[in-house]
Amino acid sequence: MEQQESKGKSKIIKETFPSEIISIIGDIFAGIILLLLVLPFKSFPILIMIVPALLSLRGNLSGPFIARTSRDFIVGEFNKKSWFQNTLATFFLAIVTGLFIGLCSFILDIFLIRTFILPIEVVILISIISIVLTLLISIPSSTLLNYISFKYGLDPNNTVNPLMTAIDDFFTVICFYSTLIIFGVP
Amino acid sequence: MKYFWKIIKESLIIVLISSLMGLFSGILLSANQELFYAIPIILLILPSLNSLIGDISTVLVSRITSALYIGTIPPKVQKSERLKENFFGLLTTILLSLIVLIVLGYILAITTRIKIFNPFLIILILLLTILLLFVIMFISLFISSILLFKRGKDPNNFLIPFLTSLADFLTPFFLIVFIIIFI
Repeated sequence: MEQQESKGKSKIIKETFPSEIISIIGDIFAGIILLLLVLPFKSFPILIMIVPALLSLRGNLSGPFIARTSRDFIVGEFNKKSWFQNTLATFFLAIVTGLFIGLCSFILDIFLIRTFILPIEVVILISIISIVLTLLISIPSSTLLNYISFKYGLDPNNTVNPLMTAIDDFFTVICFYSTLIIFGVP
Repeated sequence: MKYFWKIIKESLIIVLISSLMGLFSGILLSANQELFYAIPIILLILPSLNSLIGDISTVLVSRITSALYIGTIPPKVQKSERLKENFFGLLTTILLSLIVLIVLGYILAITTRIKIFNPFLIILILLLTILLLFVIMFISLFISSILLFKRGKDPNNFLIPFLTSLADFLTPFFLIVFIIIFI
């Protein structure tokens, strides 16, 4: 029993640790990019308030999407129909969440930060478009990683999430920056 | 569209609450920005630290959920071999990852000539933060997963959105608390 437990423990470490290293490296790069690209904006005080909420979406939207896909693979229920509905639900939630983050950020700006630089529609659209752009990269990547992990006998629960954190965080920052450029944010 | 509506129904409220927590996390960081500028290494590794706690917790919830569905963990709040295996496996992973994070952080800090503040004290603060958060997350997520599963809910939909935002909020919070205590 003890040997079996130790074997299980080693399996968790062996499958999770390498992905975690990639996640750490990805996040350090995300931090540097954020610092270099977003810091010079005049509207930085309101932007920095939106960023943690956007970064936390890897857990709010991508994380559950990945976990549901992993579970479907493990319990043998993965098919086109379940994947399509999972994807559609994730995009629907993304749009609602983007709207919510944009609206709340605008209200917090009025009462706390008081920059009054960005109009309400721009704040809302920045949130929605950043999230949707990130998901357009995240959903196909995570599905492919889940499939590869499962095919090669690795537990997708251990391998995909940390890897996707790096990809999601990195592309969230890139997509956020691209959206700021698209809207000509000062 | 049964699966679609199940996901929306189980996720919507928690996703909105988590987003709000993300915004509070932003306010918390803004309010304490002077502290982070004084010890820049903390600011450098904070996103990775948030991810580390979030990732390990996500792996835990995903593993417990899969185990509950296939029946290798009983839906009861009790110790089991599989649970111990998860605890020690994930604890070892998080500590090894922290070592890598500290080494990478200091290499980056030295290369970019960021001011280095008493490395031993910073490592102690990081270690305490990680250990405290790991224990809190492990116990609360295990109990929550069991309770949600027993009520016929998918713990993935409820807990993962919540725990990432919670980690994003609690990590800087405990870091700030320990910095205030020790420095």
